[in-house]
Parts: sequence; C-alpha cells; structure tokens
Amino acid sequence: MTPRARAVFITGFLLPATALYAVFVVMPVVQAFAFSLYRWRGISANRTFIGLENFRHLFADPIVWMALRHNLLLFLGTSVAILVLSLALAHAIGSDSRAARLLRSVYLFPQVISLVVVAILWMFILNPSFGILNAALKAVGLERWAIAWLGEKSTALASIGVAHVWHALGFYIMLFAAALRTIPPDVIEAATLDGATGLTRLRYVTLPMLWAVLRIALVYMAIGTMNIFSLVFLMTQGGPDRATEVMLTYLYEQAFKHSEFGYATALAVVNFVLVMALSGTILALFRHNPQEGKA
Amino acid sequence: MIRRVLVAAGLWVFALSVVVPLLWVLVTAFKTGAEIFTSPWGVPHTLQWENFARAWQEAGIARYFMNSLLVTLATLAILLPIGAMAAYIFARYPFRGSKWLFGAFLGGMMFPLFLTIVPLFFLLARLQLLDTLHGLTLVYVAYSLPFTVFVLTGFFQTLPQEMLEAALIDGCGHARAFWKVMLPLAKPGIIVVGVFNAIGLWNEYPLALVIMTSDERRTLPLGIANLLMVEQYQSDWGALFAGLVIVMLPVLFVYWLFRDRIHETMVAGALKG
Amino acid sequence: MKQTGFATGVIRKMKRTTYALLVTAVALAVAVVVSCGKQPSTASKELEVACFKGGYGIDFFEQAAREYERSHPGVKIKVWGNPRVWEQLRPRFVAGNPPDLTYPGWGMDHWALVYEGQVIPLDEYLDTPPYGKTEGKWRDTFEPSLLELCQYQGKTYMLPYFFSMLGWWYNKEMFEQNGWKPPRTWSELLNLCEKIKAKGIAPITYQGIYPAYAVSGFLIPWVISAGGIEAFDNAQNLVPGAWKSPAFLKAAQMMDELRRRGYFQEGANGMDHTGAQMEFLSGRAAMIPCGTWLHSEMRNVMPKGFRMGFMLPPILDGGKGDPTAVGIGIEPWMVPTKGKNRELAIDFYKYMTSLEKAKQFVEAKGTLMSIRGSDQANFPEHLKEPVEVFRNAKTVWSVEYRQWYPKLGKAVEDTTAALLAGDITPQQFVERLEQAAEATRQDKNIPKHTYTRGKAR
Repeated sequence: MTPRARAVFITGFLLPATALYAVFVVMPVVQAFAFSLYRWRGISANRTFIGLENFRHLFADPIVWMALRHNLLLFLGTSVAILVLSLALAHAIGSDSRAARLLRSVYLFPQVISLVVVAILWMFILNPSFGILNAALKAVGLERWAIAWLGEKSTALASIGVAHVWHALGFYIMLFAAALRTIPPDVIEAATLDGATGLTRLRYVTLPMLWAVLRIALVYMAIGTMNIFSLVFLMTQGGPDRATEVMLTYLYEQAFKHSEFGYATALAVVNFVLVMALSGTILALFRHNPQEGKA
Repeated sequence: MIRRVLVAAGLWVFALSVVVPLLWVLVTAFKTGAEIFTSPWGVPHTLQWENFARAWQEAGIARYFMNSLLVTLATLAILLPIGAMAAYIFARYPFRGSKWLFGAFLGGMMFPLFLTIVPLFFLLARLQLLDTLHGLTLVYVAYSLPFTVFVLTGFFQTLPQEMLEAALIDGCGHARAFWKVMLPLAKPGIIVVGVFNAIGLWNEYPLALVIMTSDERRTLPLGIANLLMVEQYQSDWGALFAGLVIVMLPVLFVYWLFRDRIHETMVAGALKG
Repeated sequence: MKQTGFATGVIRKMKRTTYALLVTAVALAVAVVVSCGKQPSTASKELEVACFKGGYGIDFFEQAAREYERSHPGVKIKVWGNPRVWEQLRPRFVAGNPPDLTYPGWGMDHWALVYEGQVIPLDEYLDTPPYGKTEGKWRDTFEPSLLELCQYQGKTYMLPYFFSMLGWWYNKEMFEQNGWKPPRTWSELLNLCEKIKAKGIAPITYQGIYPAYAVSGFLIPWVISAGGIEAFDNAQNLVPGAWKSPAFLKAAQMMDELRRRGYFQEGANGMDHTGAQMEFLSGRAAMIPCGTWLHSEMRNVMPKGFRMGFMLPPILDGGKGDPTAVGIGIEPWMVPTKGKNRELAIDFYKYMTSLEKAKQFVEAKGTLMSIRGSDQANFPEHLKEPVEVFRNAKTVWSVEYRQWYPKLGKAVEDTTAALLAGDITPQQFVERLEQAAEATRQDKNIPKHTYTRGKAR
C-alpha cells in the first residue's frame, strides 16, 4: 500500500466515528468550559462575559461545599461497604459450580435494570407508611426504628447510599471473583500450609495480589459516586432541606430551575476537575503495593 | 467453618435481596391501585391484566417501547460499524498521533455526561435535532463510542495477523479484507459490545431527559419516570408497575441469553482499564 | 464460519453503501452546525401556540383553535404541547424563534423571560375592546386580583387563564360519621386533632418531599392570620426584617406545635404528593393541604363514593388577618416578542378568554377561571365549596416570591422541611428565612419586584 493509499484508508475508516465524537462530545465539552465564563440565563441570546466570577461565586457558595461533602460521604460510605461485602462474597462465587454460576447471574440483575426502576423500587421499600422495611421492623418489635427513611435528614443520604450499593455490588463481586481466579492456586496453598488463614491470608496474600484491581475498583467507585444523579433526583430531589443534595442535582437546579446556565456549567467544570483529581489521588495513594518486596 | 457458613449465608441473602424486590414488582403489577397502597406486600386478590393493557395503551408505554427499540437498534446499526472501523485502525494501522486520538476517545469514558449536557442541549437545538429520535440516536452513538472503540481495539489486537496477510495476498484491498475477513473474526467481541451497549442504551435516562421533551417521542425510562413524577398525572399505580415490568423484562431476557459473555467482557474491560 | 449474530449480519448487509451514507450524514451534520440552523418560513396568517399539557390537557385549546379557524377563513392555528414544554421552549427563545403565543407551564422561569425582553407588555392591547366587541376594555373582563399578579414595573406581561385555590381538604364521610365539624379556628383545630388522634387516625398529612404544599397550606395562611396581609406582602417585597417578623414566628410556632403534639401523620416528611394524598384518600389521615386540582389528580385511585370537603386553613383565634383571605395560583400565558404574528395571537387569546369560552372551560375541566362572570357556570360537586369561598373572599394572596426569586423560594421550602422535621426551632426558622431574603436583597443580579395591592383595579 502506498503511503497515500494508506492515508486515504485510515482517514476513511476513522472519519465517521471521529466526526460524530468531535461534534457531539468534544465540541460540547469545549463549549462547557467557555459557557462557564459567562452570566447567562439560557433563555435569550444575551450573555455577559464575567471571567472567573462564576468560579469565585462557586467557592463561596455553601451549598456547593455541602453537596461536595455529600458526594464524598457517599463515596467513602458506599466504597467501604462495597469492598467489605464484595471481598467477603467474591471468594465463594469464583468456582464453576452451578450454584456459583446462578448466583453470579443473579447478582448482576440490579446492574442491568434501569436506574429509574431501582429508584422506584427503593422508594417503595423505604416508604414510611407501607414500605417493607418498616413493616419488617415493626414485625420484630422495633417500632421506634420505623421512620421516614427518605424524609429524615439523618437517614436520607444513607438510604440513597444503600440503594446505590444494591445497584453496584454485583459488578464488584464479579470483578473481584475474576481477579481472585487469576491468583495461582499454589500461592494460596502455600500460604495455607504456612498456617495463614482468614484475615491474615486476606492481608498478606489476597489483598496484595488484588492490589491493581482494587485501585481500579476504587477509581470506578469514585467516578460513580461523584457523578451520581438519577437515584437522588428521583428518590429525594436533593431533600429534605438539601440533606441529599449532590453536585449534579445542584447543577440541574441551577440550570433548569434558576436559569443560571453559566453557573451550572461552571459547576460541571469543577465537578469534572474534582473527579479527575480524586481519581488521580486514589491512583497515587495506592501506587505502592505495601506488601511488595516484603515477602 | 463458621466463616464459611457466614459467607454462604451472605451469598444467599444478597441473592434474595435482589430477587425478592424484583418479584415484588412483578406481583404488584397485577394489583389494583388501591391494593398497592392498602396491602402493598400481599398477593393480589384477582390478577389485574388490565394494568398491562392500560400501561401499554393509555399511558403510552407501547409508543415509548417502540421509541426505545428504534433508538437502540438504530444506534447499534451505526455505532457497531463505525466503532469497529475506528477500533481496527487503532489496533492495526498506527500512525502519527494515533495514540493521542485513541486517548481522546478513552477520555470520553471519564467525562461526566453533565459537563456536556447544557451545551449539547443548545447544539442540538441549533441543529434542529432536539427532541427527535434521530438526534437522540446520533448522540447515543457519539457517547457510546469510547467504550465500543476501547473494547473492540483490544479484540482486533488479539486477532491473528496471518489471516489478514492471507487475505491481502489473495488480492483483497485493505478495506475489503476488513469487511470480509477481520470483522467476521471479531464477531464474538462485536456481539458482546452490542449487547452491552443495548442494555445501557435501553436504560439511559439523563441524556434522554434533557434531549427528548415531547410525549410521543419519549423513550421507556423517560416514560416511566414521567408516570411517576409529572404532578398533573392522574395517579395510576397499577399501570406504573406494569410499565416497570415492561421495561425490565426485555433487558433481563437479553442479559440472561448473553450472561456468560457479558461477565467476561465486563471483567476484562475493568481488569485492563 | 457460522454467521448468525445479528450485529455481524447487519454489518455485512451495510458495507460500502452504508459507509458512504454514514459519511454523508456526518458531513451534513457538520455542515448544519457551521451554518447555524435555519429559520422556518411562516405565512402571515399562521399561528403557533405552545402549551403546557398538564392535568387539564390541551384538547380545549385545540378545539378553540378549530372554532377560530372556522370563523376566520385563511387563518391556520397549530396548537401543540406536552408536560415538559418549557424545556423545549428555552432553546427556541435563545434561537429567536419562539411560538406566537405560549402557556409555558409552572416549570418555566417566567420572569427571566420578562427581564430578557422575550415577552411583550400587553397593556396597549388590554385597553382595546374584548373579543367581538367594539367598546369596553379587555382588561376589565379579567378578575383584577389575578391580573395584578402579572405585572412588573407597572406593565402587564402575562395573562391568566384558569386558576387554582389553595386550602385544606377533609374527609367528609369520616367527619360526618364522627360528628366532627371542619375547624375554623386554631383552638378548634387543636381540639379536633386530639379527637381524631384518639381514634387512631392521623389528623393531618402533607406532601413532605415537596415542601411547597406545606408553605402555602400552613405557613403563609398563618402568617397572614397572625400579622395581616401586610405581613406577607412585606415579606414578598423583601422589606428588611419581614421574614422574621412576629407573624412568621407565630406561624412557625403553630406548625411546630402541631408537630410536637403529634398531629401530623408520622412519616409525612418522606411522602411525595401522591403518597400523602393516597393516605388521605384511604382514610388514614383526616385532613390535607392541597389546591383545587386534587380531585382531578387523584380521580383514578379515589375509592368509590369518596367525598371530600374544602376549607380554609383554620385561623388564629383573634388573629389580625382577614379570615376570608384565600390563596390562589395562576399559570399565565404570554406573547413572545419575536413571535411572527402578534396581532393574531392577541385576537385568538381574546377569543379564548371570552365569557362564553371561559364558562365552557369551567364546565369541561372543572376548575376556576380568571374571567369575571365565569363563576356562573355549572361547577362539579367538589368545586362548589371552593367557589363559595372565593366569592366571599375579601383578600386574595398568591405565592409570587417563588416565581420572582426562585432561589428564595427554594430556601423557604428547604427551611420549612427542616422545621417540620423538628431539626430547627421556630426562632432558627425565621432567622434562616430572613437570611435567605437578605441574600436575595443583596444580589444585584436579581431584578426586584414590588407588589402593591389594588393597583390593577
């Protein structure tokens, strides 16, 4: 193939995907950065360039910090829960027995159904007057615990976290189960022969072998919780009294309810930078496998 | 020993926590509106098949279903060929800047959709694509490209070089060799990517929320959320749950058919990432 | 090689032709981006009307359009709408290509349209005769208290159509069986609640996830009852200190007392509007604050024979406010500046607001209309009490700050949710409200409104 023919071939094959991607993804991203420098109600063509004003305003906005705190709390809470549960369960599910295969398939159900369904489901489970959770609590004599889970400031965010874990857990169980299978059986055997069991084995054998997957899983969880929207939007609208407000629901409110489109895009830019920063931090913090070189 | 019992119990508890609520949705879909509220966790007195009829007809689920089906299939029909073509180049024909371009595609997986939603909204308005099914399709194609290109590039890299060389010696052009030889070889990868995208597209909510506004062009997740949210809607809970069943069943069915392959890709994608 | 996978099948069939098509499609898309979209051409006698499609539908407007077309040969009116029409209208306004007449619904930031000069002041037209008449003023056919709500800096930018009344509903059956009477005063309310509670029924429920219901159902009526209508007008006008006035404190204390005495339904904070309204319909709660739309919203799940009565929120014993004061809400129509057929749009709206059409709307949709004399129509059973209340009302109020200052509106709702959950004291409640009002007051980028009672009369 002549260099010219090769160039034509490459261009022809890349063009459709690249053009669509450029028009509908890259261009809006670039524009988003530009919009964030304007005051704009998003309802006429009038725009006022205000430089970094939106960002200055944003850093002084207590609700932004509150929303960010909720995102981070969700990240910390759900990632610990997911890690503990999925590591505990992944061992048992890695085998090729029929029960294990069945369980694996079932675990991914919440992941493949729509988040809208997940939200409605949990709204019914948590419903104060006829939800199954309160019914169960009352049945075992814990009336005092039967509360409006989504209506109380102290429990609303945690409730959304539970729904999120329910939705995501299956994926991480699968992920760790697959990673565990890549550990050579003789390593485990050797460790067991050396008398390492339970937590010791987890700490000195399993975790170090899983280190790379763990890092990626944490980054996934960070991205997932920093960009959480649908569950919150459908289940609580960010309430009560902003107790579940997260970055993206606040962004939606600013753009579509308060006509603050410039401010909303500034929020989006900051959220993006934060996701990148958080992912980077996680990757850096977990760069060195603590057990490497010790053994 | 105790630990093994605990783990086994945990496994089944989680499985039940997944299955029971889903079964509950199914059972609830056969109840009357009043039953749902008065005995939400009981069994229906008589099976209300009318809920499905009402959801399908009056609540417009039939139309939403067709819209979702149309958008999902159209997206795949454009996405898979153009994604495979781009992936093939990235895998087999490196050029100056190809790494950089590949990186730009991958960056799309890290972007929060919300960063682009406001400008995208006005871009589509200017293109007169807002609130059209083909507009939504193009957007879906664009936003599915990163994952598709990423996975398919990996697939093409694993294909044996000899097959391509043989085809070229037989007098095939490079393009022809791709369509005739390499693409059929990549079929397993393409199916998985297709199923994976199909599930994601079928369930997609935030983009459709902003792009689609008219009632007759809503997709299923929007239609269902609308049943739930629009204040003026005349509450019909039986139909809502029937609608939920209609949304879930096709996905669960497709997922069940392809579950083993999906597991592999899901995990492989994450492990490589 | 077996080739049954549908994806590969599709690809094989598509091959080169499709590839060419794809490239062309993408190239076209790019070309359109560059050329920035086109303006659709309009004939002089075509009218586009975009409507919010809520509980009352848009069929009535479509019907009116057909009638108008018949009596005006050559005129073509396209009426369209959906429940989220405002999101579609936004970009049309930005692109300078709005419809000729619009009813954008509650989700539109109406006043932002006014600030941006996107809708025209209508006073010049309001002073012309009504539809089909040669004398009189169109302005005088509207209920004046409703027209007042459409003004900014002395000009009228919007026009009302139907309106809703806000109040409380009670379970008539339950009240009659137990010999209870709808409470008129605070002390009567407390007495009654005790009796209802003793029966194992929740006295009052509310739509906790959307605190706007509690704001217009508890807070504002009691502010007006305690401090007179000025207390609320001043608050809406952002008079310093108005949001922490004794009237607001009193109203907050009343809400807090109901909560502490356990008269609100347990868990109401976590209920959405349908959930709470269902609790009311199923007899688990005796009273609920809601507008006159409640009946049409819930008619599908209403138990057979369910009867509900309408009442004003009980007033404070010896309160300063007018006991007949009633809250209302409008969803206005407007004429976009860049519409292509202003005169025709106005004339069509004049037709829609003629007394004859107004009465038809009342009867077809079962709601109140802003046109004077339309209350002579035949109301459905559940509206007879509200109509009576409105006829007797000497004071009418409306939650305007929520549209004027959406951020203040959100803050008031959040704070109300916190008060109802018992997270803050009434004193903290009013401090937070005043703080939110102060923030709005200080924000130079928020245009300010002043509401003067009776100025449209």
